Amino acid sequence: MTTEVRREHAVVGRPLPRIEGPEKVTGKTVYAADITLPRMLYARILRSPHAHARIRRIDTARARALEGVEFVVTAADLPPYRKNPGARHGLLLAEDEVVYQGQAVAAVLATREDLAEEALDLIQVEYEPLPAVIDPEEAMRPDAPPARLASGAADRSEEAGHVTVDVKEEEGAGRGSPNVSNQIRFSRGDIEEGFNEADVIVERTWRSALVHQGYIEPHAAVADYDATTGELTIWTSTQGPFHTRDELARLFQLPETKIRVVGTEVGGGFGGKIFLIQGLAAALALVARRPVKLVYSRKDDLLSGVPSPQAIVHLRTGMRKDGTVTALQARLIYDAGAFPGAPVVPGALLVGGYYKFPHLDIQGFEVLTNKVSVGALRAPGAHNATLAIEAHMDLMARELGLDPLEVRLRNAVEEGDQLPNGQPLPRVGLRACLEALQRHPLWRDRAARKAGNGRPRGVGIAVGGWLGGLQPASAHVALNSDGTINVMVGSNDITGVNTAFAQIAAEELRVPVEQVTVSQGDTKTAPYAGMSAGSKTLYTVGRAVKLAAEDARRQILEVASQRLDAPVEELELADGEVRVKGDPSRTLTLERLGQLTTAFAARHAPIVGVGNVTARRSAPGFTAQMVELEVDPETGQITLLGMVGAQDAGFAVNPLAVAGQIEGGMTQGLGIGLWEEMVYDAAGNLKNPGLLDYRMPTAMDVPDLESVIVEVPSEEGPYGARIVGEPSITAGGAAIANAVADALGVWVDAIPVTPERVLRALGRLG
Amino acid sequence: MAKQLITFRINGERQEVATEPNRTLLELVRDDLRLTGAKEGCGTGDCGACSMIVDGRLVTSCLMLAPEADGAEILTIEGLAEDGRLHPLQEAFIQHGALQCGFCIPGMLMAAKAVLDANPRPSRAEIRRGLAGNLCRCTGYRRIVDAVAAVAARD
Repeated sequence: MTTEVRREHAVVGRPLPRIEGPEKVTGKTVYAADITLPRMLYARILRSPHAHARIRRIDTARARALEGVEFVVTAADLPPYRKNPGARHGLLLAEDEVVYQGQAVAAVLATREDLAEEALDLIQVEYEPLPAVIDPEEAMRPDAPPARLASGAADRSEEAGHVTVDVKEEEGAGRGSPNVSNQIRFSRGDIEEGFNEADVIVERTWRSALVHQGYIEPHAAVADYDATTGELTIWTSTQGPFHTRDELARLFQLPETKIRVVGTEVGGGFGGKIFLIQGLAAALALVARRPVKLVYSRKDDLLSGVPSPQAIVHLRTGMRKDGTVTALQARLIYDAGAFPGAPVVPGALLVGGYYKFPHLDIQGFEVLTNKVSVGALRAPGAHNATLAIEAHMDLMARELGLDPLEVRLRNAVEEGDQLPNGQPLPRVGLRACLEALQRHPLWRDRAARKAGNGRPRGVGIAVGGWLGGLQPASAHVALNSDGTINVMVGSNDITGVNTAFAQIAAEELRVPVEQVTVSQGDTKTAPYAGMSAGSKTLYTVGRAVKLAAEDARRQILEVASQRLDAPVEELELADGEVRVKGDPSRTLTLERLGQLTTAFAARHAPIVGVGNVTARRSAPGFTAQMVELEVDPETGQITLLGMVGAQDAGFAVNPLAVAGQIEGGMTQGLGIGLWEEMVYDAAGNLKNPGLLDYRMPTAMDVPDLESVIVEVPSEEGPYGARIVGEPSITAGGAAIANAVADALGVWVDAIPVTPERVLRALGRLG
Repeated sequence: MAKQLITFRINGERQEVATEPNRTLLELVRDDLRLTGAKEGCGTGDCGACSMIVDGRLVTSCLMLAPEADGAEILTIEGLAEDGRLHPLQEAFIQHGALQCGFCIPGMLMAAKAVLDANPRPSRAEIRRGLAGNLCRCTGYRRIVDAVAAVAARD
């Protein structure tokens, strides 16, 4: 991590360890699966073994007879709820059709988890298999069998939480196949003219795999329904407590006052933990009228989570001799799995969003197949598109004998340039990220390192980015009676933002950060916050905290003005006290102010600052990353040697947390580039539903990563901060592909770049 | 299934527990003793979140049957800090930014302790090898390795 030292701020901008660190290193932090309630039942889920089938009959008699089993629940036993067969959460248990292997069909509630598991084997389900479509290109054919018989409305609410952009769906056009669930198109200029202007044109197809978030904590929820009060409480690992509340209220037609969602610590989410198991957990609690714990096994999670989509991106691009890009034609196919919601829009925006293509024509298709439905893994849909465009930049630069980094600098988007949908970019730091790589020794000295090694070595670069989500947020900042500060928010902390909030409050109230505590309330107690997704928590809730602290400061100064008999303009707040400027004898400590606003018969009202914001302008974050690796041409094995990621954070409120986000995302990008792939067979069976075969990076795979924080301030973020969490994952896969090409001279056109694919590209495999 | 009575010491305390013989050590510790620091991330010994030190050896407790712990000396994350004072590894993890979501951390700290117990002066590569059975999805490992190396470099 490298970052400059700033002097204009006292607390923000300094690297601080996480405020919740002591609880986490002692094992005291409570995750949802750690919660046990009296009379609690354990739920296990029976899943469909078929990718597509009709359910003929379910016989639960034998399962019900097992000692310790309290309830066996099928669709027919669920309480009334608002159904929509077209949406992932629209059917809590399958009714007469299953549309992917792993879909929930029945649930067992037992006094012990192992008894519930045992009972699953005793449930007899009679299926009538139906034709399944597994491959997205085959699913697009007009004569393809439909991925589902039932219809329903698409639900894109989660996607909207990650990226907030204007887009018009193309009406009807080209929907020859029953499985094309969404189609979009962005055009600019005259595409043919663009190719006429080009000196080199490259056309290729790029594939990226279905990948899982791989959070170490599987999905978990404990739900409790009190039939006497009609109140539903759920403790759960979600990035969006308020979103979960809203979804539960809608599903069960309950007023939001009757639902309490307690967002427990999220043991890794990365976009995959928004609203998935909470509806079923709540329904089971409504059935049982006892607390119900639903914790996914790893297999459950791989079979029926919300992984990041498989995609096929066909690209045709043109460039002039001098390295200026002229035209981009793209056709993106994103495999949604069994329900709509694939992030083809962000993919389509980013494929044409990094460079100033004067002419472009981008088509995107969302296709339904009989596989698990997809969601977000940091920057949903971005890495798939980035692989294609970033490989093309290298391919074109190579054809023209140009430096690939120079070519990117020449064409990189800047403030005012338009995204493919015509939306102008605010201030962005893509160029600054590229310049940071250009200065780095890993780039400057790469030729020297490449020579004289036994095995082929390569350095690959790629840019990436994310536009960010937008949602309103609010926060409270209160002065305690001893002068310390309470911050209350409604967002779940998945990136270390609570530490940053403490820094913001300390900065604005001029107190040491140790005197600030940050709490996350539940949906009954906390001020509203959008979901912690779309990299927007610091950008939105952080602004709310800053406004709330400013509001508290205003109230502090007003009370002090009365007590010190001096106008507010003559007061200053510093070192935990209010002073009359130029008169050191007239001061009032925050501690005294705390007492004056909370004691019996106090003259002044308590100091509670409120901050409310609605963010309407995004602060996109761009990155440029570089990977060095070595390839064994005999085995196709790749060894990573180094990786550097430069990312524009706008302003790093906590550089330690920002570096952690960059490095974590880089590592996930390496996983996407080299190892991770959910493999389905032709019948739609997941072949690797475990962590032995779904291969995530270990400590031995990853080199010592280096993150470089670039700071090009955003217009509206607190202190200029912009989105941070997601851009870091977008470039790794492309950087791997480019590094392998630099080493071998051939491109592997699919990620992960497995040894098999390397050998195939080298022509050493049949 | 008939229960089996087993005795062991965990974090220095003697425990006597009647357990079904098909339960794992992880289930026993989490569900019966309510020590929920160790986590279940996979149940198949691949992620290391359930790591404990049993008779001086690092084990994935989701793969160890509870009766196998009869007579054993067990250390879990709850026993790492002594008298309210964090272990140097715990301090170092916090200070180096080696933790994010925290879910892998109890197991990771057990693995880190096992690395240093076996070799007080490990190289970075040796640290990485010692932690390779513990998946972390948040950090990219570099800062975890930094934290362990910093403790190893002391005294």
